[in-house]
This record gives sequence, structure tokens and C-alpha cells, in this order.
Amino acid sequence: MTPSLSLSDIGVRFNGSRILASVDMEIARGEWLGIIGPNGAGKSTLLRAIMGAVEFDGSIAIGGVPTSTMKRRDLARSVALVPQHPVLPPGMRVVDYVLLGRTPHVHAVTGPSLHDLDVVATILSALTLSSFVDRDVTTLSGGELQRVVIARALAQESPILLLDEPTTSLDIGKQQEVLELVDRLRRERTLTIVSAMHDLTIAAQFPDRLIMLADGAVVAEGGGRSVLDPALIRTHYSADVKILDDGSGGIVVVPQRSQDPMNDSKN
Amino acid sequence: MTGEEIRPSRLHWWWLAGALAALAGAGLLAVLMGAVDLDARSVLLSVVDRLPFVDADSGLNDRQEAILWELRMPRVALGGIVGAMLAVAGGSYQGSFRNPLADPYLLGAAAGAGLGATIAFAYGAGLPSTPVDTLPLLAFIGGVAGVAATYAIGYSVKAGRTPVMLILAGVAVAAFLTAIQTYLQQRNAETLREVYGWILGRLSTVGWGEVWLVLPYVVVSILVVLLGAGRLDVLSVGDDEAVTLGVNPPRVRLVMVLAATLGTAAVVAVSGLIGFVGIIVPHAIRIVFGSSYRVILPLSVILGAAFLILADLLARTVAAPAEIPIGVVTAFFGAPFFAIVLRSSRGLGS
Repeated sequence: MTPSLSLSDIGVRFNGSRILASVDMEIARGEWLGIIGPNGAGKSTLLRAIMGAVEFDGSIAIGGVPTSTMKRRDLARSVALVPQHPVLPPGMRVVDYVLLGRTPHVHAVTGPSLHDLDVVATILSALTLSSFVDRDVTTLSGGELQRVVIARALAQESPILLLDEPTTSLDIGKQQEVLELVDRLRRERTLTIVSAMHDLTIAAQFPDRLIMLADGAVVAEGGGRSVLDPALIRTHYSADVKILDDGSGGIVVVPQRSQDPMNDSKN
Repeated sequence: MTGEEIRPSRLHWWWLAGALAALAGAGLLAVLMGAVDLDARSVLLSVVDRLPFVDADSGLNDRQEAILWELRMPRVALGGIVGAMLAVAGGSYQGSFRNPLADPYLLGAAAGAGLGATIAFAYGAGLPSTPVDTLPLLAFIGGVAGVAATYAIGYSVKAGRTPVMLILAGVAVAAFLTAIQTYLQQRNAETLREVYGWILGRLSTVGWGEVWLVLPYVVVSILVVLLGAGRLDVLSVGDDEAVTLGVNPPRVRLVMVLAATLGTAAVVAVSGLIGFVGIIVPHAIRIVFGSSYRVILPLSVILGAAFLILADLLARTVAAPAEIPIGVVTAFFGAPFFAIVLRSSRGLGS
């Protein structure tokens, strides 16, 4: 079967410096691929390249069709992005914000149809946001906001969903809630998901497969157990970690201090 | 929950009806009041009389008819057209640049038109004659050239074509053009008063010539701006996200700014630099009716027209028989009005 999303030999340069180089990846329909890597590794840039928001060398194809030949509007119907730091227009209500996700489907002049409103209503219900419709987006809490931004991306009805560090500013409960939601939506709607991820333990739990980026290149690829290797993490994150079994088949990445803190404090 | 239950922001018909009623009221008031007061019944009958296939006796004498149709009506029409254009252009700029302080004069339109007008006042007599008066022609050319220069500079910035770069380029172009304008003004001190009067704005017009002159530009640019209203809502989440929603932000911005600028240059050419309308009208509407440009822009057209008609009424009646420059009125009455709207708002964040 043709992969849902395939990237071959992707390179991105910005102001002369290399952000990404020779990145290849194939993502199957319905798969969840997690992209990990230290700050500045190129995770966000990779997602932006898929969205056509940065210029790149190489080829990105969706269902075999190169994105470079697609109109912006058609690309937005195929891929939706949940940005890491969404821009929130002051005074905009949740319903209007989520309705923006219909932009690639809405006629620019006539505005949203009843079908567009139905799509938005269904998504708001599915994400238990029905009671929020009239709230100003700038007054939402972190968890509420993340659900609203995901709702906007879902309103695009794109088969591929990109998430840029979707849980960065959330507490541990909200992190789980948001990622369980993404996983549920993936199953219900057969979405292909690519998420840049920050927390390595969570990266081990949710995606089917991981890719580690460092300095703009893929340095490891595979299941959680093979990519989340203490030596690799030491090399690329400059971090000392232990990988532990969580007792139910999963793994946990635990940071370690290089010296015993008790001894340290005595000196 | 179904699609019929969610209520996205849109222009309700009763808002539209209310705004139109306000415009009609302002227009009628402005037609009736002045050095010679006309009564409402006669004016309405005179209007009815002008309709095809209808005959009505207004009871107005020839002099009153002339005041009504050659002085008051064209002046009210011109005020409405200028006010509508400046207000909707302000809204269009604010949405395009995601900057609440952007207005039609920002990108060099005002400075360019001012320079054009100064040249017309200072050297107009020596220029070859044209089908259109030199003053509006040069003011129009100056306004468009000012914005074109701003775009050329802003888009040549290597670091990236951001709205901020464009606004900074506008500041530079405006400063440069204003310097030339001031120099010419000082060199031709005898025209100082005329130039100054033009800069403060005025709607004194006799007959319909200026109305017909600017109307085509204004109609086209208002139509283009209104058709793009939904796109401005998308730009409100920033260029990066707008791209992921399938929109081309630089293109949207170019079309919206071009349309707003063309219309602004046209009205400025006949009315001078009437300030403040493009800022306060769209903002007052935003505060009262919400942040969607699908609501702000159409209401700006109607309420901008009503606002400037009333401002002009004050300009010619407050100190009658003298006239106050209308730009003074829009600021003097507009600023406190805006302050009141601001104070009573729930606060829309920063």
C-alpha cells in the first residue's frame, strides 16, 4: 500500500544555516509517528515543511501526490497542524476559532454552510467543548485551549494530523487527557499522526514508532525500546537517563543526576 | 449539539437595519440643518418628486431647492462616501496588519497625498491642464505613490516580508515625503493657508462633480474589501497558521491593502486628510459587535458614513457662519466618544 505520507531527502536551510538535511521517512495510514530530539533538532521545521510553511529541497508526497504540486487549499484539506504556540486573536469566541478550521472547505465569499457548522458542532461535542462555544479563546486554561486548538485542526477533516509538542505546557493529568484524546480520534477517524514530542516517557507510550532527530538528521528510528537508548540519549541530549520497565510492558525514561546529591551538598 | 445550535459571529439583519437607520437619520438631519433650515416634510416630498413616474409638490422655492440639491445633498453624499471609505479602509488595514493602530494613512498614503496637494497648490497654475482638477489628481497620485514606495521598500527587506517591516517602511516613506512637503510649503508661504486647510480636511463642495469623481473608486474598493472580510478573520491567527489553513497571507494582505489604499487615495484627493475615522469607527464596532471582520467591515461602511455626515454637520453649524475644519471635529468629538466606548467595554485583551 502507498504510504500515507512519505518524505524523501528533505533539506531545509534558513539564512544559510542547515536546519534539516537528507531526512527520509514513510508513515503508513493510521500510524502514529513520534518525532523526538533535543531542542533545535529540527522537529518543528520538519512539521512545517510537511505543511508547506517553509521551503524545502527533496520531495514530500501525500498518498503518492507531491505536496509541491498541490494547491495550498488542497494541502490544508490533507494535512492539519496543531501548533505549539497558537496565536489567539483577542475577543474571538471558541466557535469562531474552531470554524476557522473549515477555511479550506469554505467558499471565501459566501462563508460557512450549514454542513460546515454541523462538522464544527460534531467536533465540539466529541471534544466535550459544547459548553465553551461562547468563551473568548484568550480566557481558556491550558488544557481547554489545547482541546480547542485540536478541535480547529480536526475541523479541517484532514486525514493527516501534525502535532507540535502538544503537551508542553500541560500538567501531567492534562497531558494524558490530550494524548488519550488524540489516540481515540486516530482510531475513530483513521488519522495518520505525526507528533513532535518533548517528554520521552510519553513518547514511549503513545506513538507506534519513533524517529530521533539531531542536528537536522535522523539518528535513530524504530520502536520505543530501540530508539530510547541511554547511549543515544547521552550523545544527542547530553543527558544521563535510565530506562526502566514500567511493569506493564512499557518503558520509563528517568533522568539521573551525575553525582549523589547528598554527597554534593556536604561539600 | 448540531450546526443550527452553534452561533458563529455573523452580521445579524437587525444590526444592519439599525446601522442603516442611523445613517438615514444622520443624512436627514444634515440635509435639514444649516444657515437656512428646511423642514423634513418638504425635503422628503422633494426627494419623492425626483423619483421617476412620481409627482409631488414639495412647497420649496427655487432657492431652497437649490440649497437642498446643489449644496446639502451633494455634501451629505460626499461625507457619507468619504466616511464609509475611510472607516472600512481602517478596518481592512487593521485586519491585514493585525495591528489595532493601523489606518489608511499609515503606509505613506497621507504623506504622499499631502505632498501631491502641496505641489498642486504651489505650482498648480503652471501645470498643463488635465480633464480632472490638478488638486485631486496630484493628491491621488501622491497617495498611491506613497504606498507603492512603502511596499517596494518593505518587500525588499532581506530578513523577510513581515507586516512589521512594511509598517516600518511606511514610517520611513512618510517621514521622507513629509519633509519634502514641508520644504515646498515653506518655499511657497503664500499657499500655506490653503495647504493647511486641505490637510485638516474639508467637505465643502458645490454640485455633484466630486461625488461622481470618487464614487467608482470607492464602490470598487469597498466591494473588494467586503469580499475579503472572511480572509481577514483567518489572518487573525497569524501568517504561519493561516498558511496551514490553506490561505496565502501576503496575497490576501496585498489585495486588501491595495483596495483600501486606492479608495482612500481617491477620497483624500477630494476631502483632504480627515483623521481618526479609520481608527475609531472600526474599533467602536469591534468593541460593541465582536471581533469578526465579517461584522466589522460591513458595519464600518454604514456607520463610518453616518459618523462623518454628523461630524460635517457639526463642522458647519457649531461656529456658523464660519466652518471648523472637519478633521478638528472628528478628533474633538470622536476622541471623547471613543474613550467612552473604551471605558464601557468589557476589555478585549491586548
